[in-house]
Amino acid sequence: MATSNSLSGTVQAMAGTIDPDAGISAAGEPITEAEALQRLRQSEDHSQQYYAAWWLGRNRSRHPEALPLLLAALRQRRPRDPGAGVEENAIARNAARALGKLGDDGAIPELLAALDDGDDGLREAAARSLGELQATEAVAVLLRRLASGPAGAGAPRLDSPRLQEPCEAMLEALGAIGIAEPGVITLIEAFTAHDRPLIRSAACRALLQLSGEARWAEPLMQLLDHPQLQVRRAALMDLGAVGWRPALEPICHTLAENSLKLIALRGLVEQGAHHDATIQAGSVLSAMDSLL
Amino acid sequence: MRSVEIDPIGERIEAVRQAASAQALLDATCALAASDHGNGVNNEAIACLVEVLGFNNPGAAVAAVNGLIALGPEAVEPILESLDPRNYGARAWAVRALAGIGDVRGLDLLEEALASDIGPSVRRAAARGLGQLRLDALGEPLRLAVQTRCLQALVAGCSDGEWVVRYAVSVGLEGIGLADFNSEYLRPASRQALLGLSQPDGEEVPVVRLRAALALRRLDGQPSA
Repeated sequence: MATSNSLSGTVQAMAGTIDPDAGISAAGEPITEAEALQRLRQSEDHSQQYYAAWWLGRNRSRHPEALPLLLAALRQRRPRDPGAGVEENAIARNAARALGKLGDDGAIPELLAALDDGDDGLREAAARSLGELQATEAVAVLLRRLASGPAGAGAPRLDSPRLQEPCEAMLEALGAIGIAEPGVITLIEAFTAHDRPLIRSAACRALLQLSGEARWAEPLMQLLDHPQLQVRRAALMDLGAVGWRPALEPICHTLAENSLKLIALRGLVEQGAHHDATIQAGSVLSAMDSLL
Repeated sequence: MRSVEIDPIGERIEAVRQAASAQALLDATCALAASDHGNGVNNEAIACLVEVLGFNNPGAAVAAVNGLIALGPEAVEPILESLDPRNYGARAWAVRALAGIGDVRGLDLLEEALASDIGPSVRRAAARGLGQLRLDALGEPLRLAVQTRCLQALVAGCSDGEWVVRYAVSVGLEGIGLADFNSEYLRPASRQALLGLSQPDGEEVPVVRLRAALALRRLDGQPSA
């Protein structure tokens, strides 16, 4: 459990990152857990709260105060008002992300409520965290938010390049939670025909996780040849999250950073035993060695 | 008849410099990297391949690294001279090239990179390189001294915060432990460090434990799984 959480956490952190090493500069100066808790507790300096929320998640704090303080930070959000400062919402989003990494189910009810927040960035963070927590309670809400399909939930917004719903995060959460009911499968299948390759990738990843059927791996492996680097990166992370060992060769040959290939291959080693045993972990390790 | 001087390497360098798209750069770099240098290595070709490392084009950088590794020791000085502390991507590729060439002149850089470079991809490449320096040409006392430095750097790398660096450290320790000319010190010290990386109380990431355990089996002469 801890293992699969830490891998999916890494995968998610990397998937949204342009430079694989960018996390380092985001880390800022080293602080202690006590300092992080203190920074989150005060409320004058929002940037300190923002950093502290990130820190507690990144370090998977087990301190008893971490959960209540992060929940309080999640509650600081307000209705979205583009004209006003949205610092509290930024803190709430970081708190939602951190709550997924603590691994404490006590966060689930408030994360569920955040899935219906007006801030789609917060809905995205909450969806990812509920996926990390494998919160079966979230399936019904995720299905409801995605029910209108690619033409509704998956339609582009007028005011930004984002979609009506954070479809990628929500689809990935459904895959991670692991409830393979027909209603879930049918809904996700509709998104495999979405215009955007990143959404198709997320849908195929979820279907592959839920069904184990090789037909959903094919589109992902084709996306490893996509002309856009960003799409190839997403397909790498998705195949790694599923641990689809037959993708070993295509992963090694795609044009992308070795850092991302190594993360994907780690997924093949750690998550891959329950798929195709014809490719042994040893072959994946030797492929990893040559990418160092 | 007028003889026409044909310089395919010169043309290939020009093609890299003129490349107008990512794909063109990749193709031109592959062609330059595959050039046959005949009797003498072309310094301009080396300089051009080194330049490609800084272009933020992963495909072309892979090709350039392979080309530089194929050129071997001749490429070491130009790579060392080109290092740009502000370009992490380029540094990572340079360290990879030096790791692949395995020339002892890269030792200082590999040590420094593993110990303190901010980029995990740089530390990772350095750890791998420290386990595969080619030291056959050195005399015994110097060889041992170099290997001891490599070992010490790798042992320190066991506590790196990034799993991928610790993975590379396992690979590096295997290289040190398997080298032909082990003293009574190197192999046991490598084994001990690998033991720490192979156990759940010393290492939290499963793939690192698996790799360290594989290295231990190889050091002990058992068939690799």
